[in-house]
Amino acid sequence: MRYSYGIMDRRKILLYNPQLFLKGCDILAFPSKDFHKWHSDIKEYIDGLYQINTREETEQINIVDLNLALGVLGNITEELENLFDSGKRSDFSYQYISTLEEKYKKQKSSYTSDMRRCDMRVPVITPALKYQNLMEVVRFAEREFERAMRERWVEIILI
Amino acid sequence: MRVSEGEPRGRFAELYNPGIFQEHEEVIVFTRQEFNQIYTSIQEQINYINKADLHLDRSEDWKLIGYWPKIMEKVHILDANMDSIFKKEPLQTYLDAYLYESTGNHEKKATASKNTVSVKL
Repeated sequence: MRYSYGIMDRRKILLYNPQLFLKGCDILAFPSKDFHKWHSDIKEYIDGLYQINTREETEQINIVDLNLALGVLGNITEELENLFDSGKRSDFSYQYISTLEEKYKKQKSSYTSDMRRCDMRVPVITPALKYQNLMEVVRFAEREFERAMRERWVEIILI
Repeated sequence: MRVSEGEPRGRFAELYNPGIFQEHEEVIVFTRQEFNQIYTSIQEQINYINKADLHLDRSEDWKLIGYWPKIMEKVHILDANMDSIFKKEPLQTYLDAYLYESTGNHEKKATASKNTVSVKL
């Protein structure tokens, strides 16, 4: 992402890297100290989400973890709203620097051993199976047809 | 947070409301278009997770095993987005497309040619 620091100088910004911006494009300016604080806050919450994800191999995810994660997400949403709320003052009492190890951020595949077990047991389509499927379709159509006919008869009788 | 829009003019950038910043305060400047892309993407990920939660019946918590990897996938995108703010590489979010754009596009409309074009049949 293109970004540049700058300094306020007589009600204008003196850009450090002015070559990044085209003449006509709109720009957004944030106080850099506040912005870094905001960025570190969100990083902290995301690291929190990764921590929720980290558990023993034998343990399974449960609803408590999900509730926790949703709470953290709620905080992120709040931070996102605060970004454009000029009344909010940032809290500079601490700054978070992410020291979470990369191995905790690794994505695990959603393809589980249960899915694999199901996939391995793919039925072989034999002519008999095909016929069975066909009959199922026919029976369903028959039932639908009967129901429609019955409704027709009821209408006719009522008239 | 205090924020102002503006327009770059050479080495200087003019703000629409410069009064909110103090003199000699350091500011960080983004292009509005790119920041919009990042912001929308972050919101999109959060919405996805919230929707997944809404669809999940709390009494059937075994279904969570299937949902969780998808949720973490979105968290990963969130993390990547936050990292890409301070990176020099082009944004990945340029590849995203949304049905409803939160802000209008700023592409200039093509003006019709003033010269009359004769059509030979």
